[in-house]
Amino acid sequence: MVYFIFRRLGLAALSLWGVATIVFVMSRLIPGDIAGVAAGRFASAEQIEHVRETLGLNKPLVVQYWDFLVHAVHGDLGTSAYTHQSVVSGIGAVLPATIQLVVCGMIITILLAVPLGVLSAVNEGRGGDTAIRLILVLEGGVPVFWLAIMLRWIFGSILGWFPISSTNSLNGAPPHVTGFSVLDSLLFGDFSNVLDSVGHLLLPAIALSAPFIATLARNVRSNMMSALKSDYITFAVSKGVPPGRIVIHHGLRSALGSTLTIAGMQFGWMVSSAVLVEAVFSLPGVGSYMYHAIVNHDTFAVLGAVLIIGFVFIVTALIVDLVQMSIDPRVRNVQVGVA
Amino acid sequence: MKTEDKLPPGLPSTHPDRRGEVSFAYRFSTATSPLAVGRGLGGLARRLFGAKTFLINRIAFGLVAVLLLLALLGPVLAPYDPNAPNTNAALQAPGAVHWLGTDDVGRDVLSRILTGATQTLISAVLIVVFATLIGVIVASAAALAPRWADEVVMRVCDMFMSIPSLVLALGLAAALGPSLTSIIIAMVAALWPATARLTRGILRETMTSAYIESAQIVGMSRLRLMVRHAIPNSLDAIYVHASMEISGTIVMMSGLAFLGVGAPPPSADWGSMIAQGQDFITTAWWVSLFPGLAITLSAVAFGLAGDAVRSLADPSSRRS
Amino acid sequence: MDARSPILNVSALSVSVPEKLRIGGGQGDLRLVDGVSFQIRSGERLALVGESGSGKSMTARALMQLDRDVVLKGSVCWDGTELLGAAPRRLREIRGAEISMLFQDPMTALNPVLTIGEQVAEPLLVRGVSKKNAYRKAAQILDRLHVPKAKERLRAYPGQFSGGMRQRVVMAAALVAEPKLLIADEPTTALDVRVQEQVLDLIEEQSRELNLAVLFITHDLATVAGLAQSVVVMHHGKFVEQQNVDDLFSKPQHPYTRGLLASVPRLDADPNRRLLTVEDYMANHGGESLG
Repeated sequence: MVYFIFRRLGLAALSLWGVATIVFVMSRLIPGDIAGVAAGRFASAEQIEHVRETLGLNKPLVVQYWDFLVHAVHGDLGTSAYTHQSVVSGIGAVLPATIQLVVCGMIITILLAVPLGVLSAVNEGRGGDTAIRLILVLEGGVPVFWLAIMLRWIFGSILGWFPISSTNSLNGAPPHVTGFSVLDSLLFGDFSNVLDSVGHLLLPAIALSAPFIATLARNVRSNMMSALKSDYITFAVSKGVPPGRIVIHHGLRSALGSTLTIAGMQFGWMVSSAVLVEAVFSLPGVGSYMYHAIVNHDTFAVLGAVLIIGFVFIVTALIVDLVQMSIDPRVRNVQVGVA
Repeated sequence: MKTEDKLPPGLPSTHPDRRGEVSFAYRFSTATSPLAVGRGLGGLARRLFGAKTFLINRIAFGLVAVLLLLALLGPVLAPYDPNAPNTNAALQAPGAVHWLGTDDVGRDVLSRILTGATQTLISAVLIVVFATLIGVIVASAAALAPRWADEVVMRVCDMFMSIPSLVLALGLAAALGPSLTSIIIAMVAALWPATARLTRGILRETMTSAYIESAQIVGMSRLRLMVRHAIPNSLDAIYVHASMEISGTIVMMSGLAFLGVGAPPPSADWGSMIAQGQDFITTAWWVSLFPGLAITLSAVAFGLAGDAVRSLADPSSRRS
Repeated sequence: MDARSPILNVSALSVSVPEKLRIGGGQGDLRLVDGVSFQIRSGERLALVGESGSGKSMTARALMQLDRDVVLKGSVCWDGTELLGAAPRRLREIRGAEISMLFQDPMTALNPVLTIGEQVAEPLLVRGVSKKNAYRKAAQILDRLHVPKAKERLRAYPGQFSGGMRQRVVMAAALVAEPKLLIADEPTTALDVRVQEQVLDLIEEQSRELNLAVLFITHDLATVAGLAQSVVVMHHGKFVEQQNVDDLFSKPQHPYTRGLLASVPRLDADPNRRLLTVEDYMANHGGESLG
């Protein structure tokens, strides 16, 4: 098992290197003068020359690549041409907000997708199944950013149920400790602020989760269907196990394995969809950072964000695999080598 | 049933109830061969709309046909010039003159959606076609190459796939500068690894199957096996994957355009139309609402058509 | 209860798949089992024999009503109550506690994500027996089926067991609630020959010790000879004949049965002669076709 953990860690490291390489290649694909782009739109000739020096753009490509990797390992992804701040610290400051949004979206996704998928599988081929699948098809096709705009318009502006501004409204933002506004409010026992933070998160999180609910529910449905058709379910029926226990205890338990994998990958995709949702709600997060970087033609900040989101994606996949290894006896036993 | 799935396409089914039927991919590939275009297209149409096909599938194919027709005729059908500003008619609500209203500089929303359809749908189809071609070529080359090269290619695919495709496309499109071409390049770069991986998986399975081994013993070359057996055998899965991909591509493209890395203004793109309308959503909701509905409708139609293609390719899933 | 009166009385049982649920289409309802009747007495071991596709497994599954999509007709009378059309609740009471079942493939019959202990104890757990007692009984029965270190093994997962061990676990789960009838649906087909024998011995041993009736479904005549007291032969979903085991081998009545017995290959047969098949026998008795 230790061997497999190390092997998995090695694969993750390889993926990180690969992502860094892809980002480096992308940064050299920029048409025209890279130093000019890196220095920003309003840089003077000396500034551009200075940037060319610091970026080492006059050195051979291999040396540039090596320097890039060394800097990346030390947590240096360059400075933003727009804010003149380090890209890593700029993103680091807003990353908790994005993670908070994505975790919230993930909770909504799982809470809705698992029951929907199970209901659909249990009623396979009947009216309930068809209705759920139709809803999922429609909801899965809605673009998140448009849904975000529509939700904000309907529930924020017309009905006034939710705040349309981005940050906490009542007592201002809670003291910045972890950067997770819900957690910070909790830490200070400020419950009105907790509610307020959740209120601000709810609409963006719902918009964010829409397409993921469809994918995950379909996955749960097909896993449940094949689980329910398996011999061990028939055996359980022949033992006199009641239907509720058959579905939840026998079916869902074994169906959730691959659902967990999908949910883990969705976490990474959600971080990327968060770019769109944060842009709509102007939530301060990696997405907004990226959006502003794009608008301001701050290419190196964009690429820094790409690298960091890739990093989050790889780490999530790693964590999911390790968690699965520890809870799923099928995976665990294969790894231990007992057949 | 399971052994049935492993049969090479083109060989008649041995299943007692479907004796003599051939796979969807085989029919499709004969339908696209120039010799049998007329007969083949008739057969395809029967297959897509025939009485044996479910109602929902027929609706899906019908919607896709209408959408593609709109995409081709969009600029002709548009009642107004999609790019001509008319400050006298700015932000008019939907009505008899402008069916879907006008935007902040007085351009007709319906006309812009119709011209946007041409751009969005045709580039979405192109992106998927390119990504699929690259994926299949890379996978086939990897399958023929020595083991280590195969391994390297698949690891590279993994690396590409460890950046979420939206972010990868966003970074690439941002680096290349805002234009429709850079969106297409970025999306193709983001999508091909998934196809390559899928195809490689099927090729690996087919190339180790018993009937390929027996053909090898008879003396067929690996290249010939690949072209005559393995690739045709993976076509079903590739068609299914590609048709499912179009829907996501439409949504993702509009997302990129929404973030401002798409075709620069005044080009009518659904994503950038939504972005443009979001600032005055409370006073002029129609500017953002209708392009979003267009995206949703296209995504759902292509998504359903993808499901339908899958159920045609895999008869065992027809009942589910 | 009188040992002579049957505990299970199956009469004119038929199983069919309705036309719209037939995979691959086809006209009309598909009849899989057609008017089969037989009885099992308490403690009796009855074998149901036939080729693959003869409907013997469908018959067994129909007794427990395990398939949702099929239509059952006729009568299955268990201990004086009619099972066809009985309330789901009543069926659940019977399944596992009065009639239980062994499956063909022990590799797939156990849920890979639940512990052995839980799966063996489950028939008791769902009937309100306390966890402690249920697990104790589970360990006892595993012990009785010669699973070494039964108590420690309760926490293991099916993936850690070999095929023969898993079939013992399945058997333990089937027997833990002390049923009166065990339906064994080809329980040895997926196992290798040596393990097959062990499993068959175990079934016979339990049957003798517990006065357990066994309905044994198989296509293997050798197994029948060693285990069963009487035999029902099925062909194309229809009942062919029922005989006590010695009579069946010494004087088979129906040409199909004769064919079945004669087509068992013999080591001392002339290698230059083609093996006879059931069809050869049936052809010679064309008048008695089974349709």
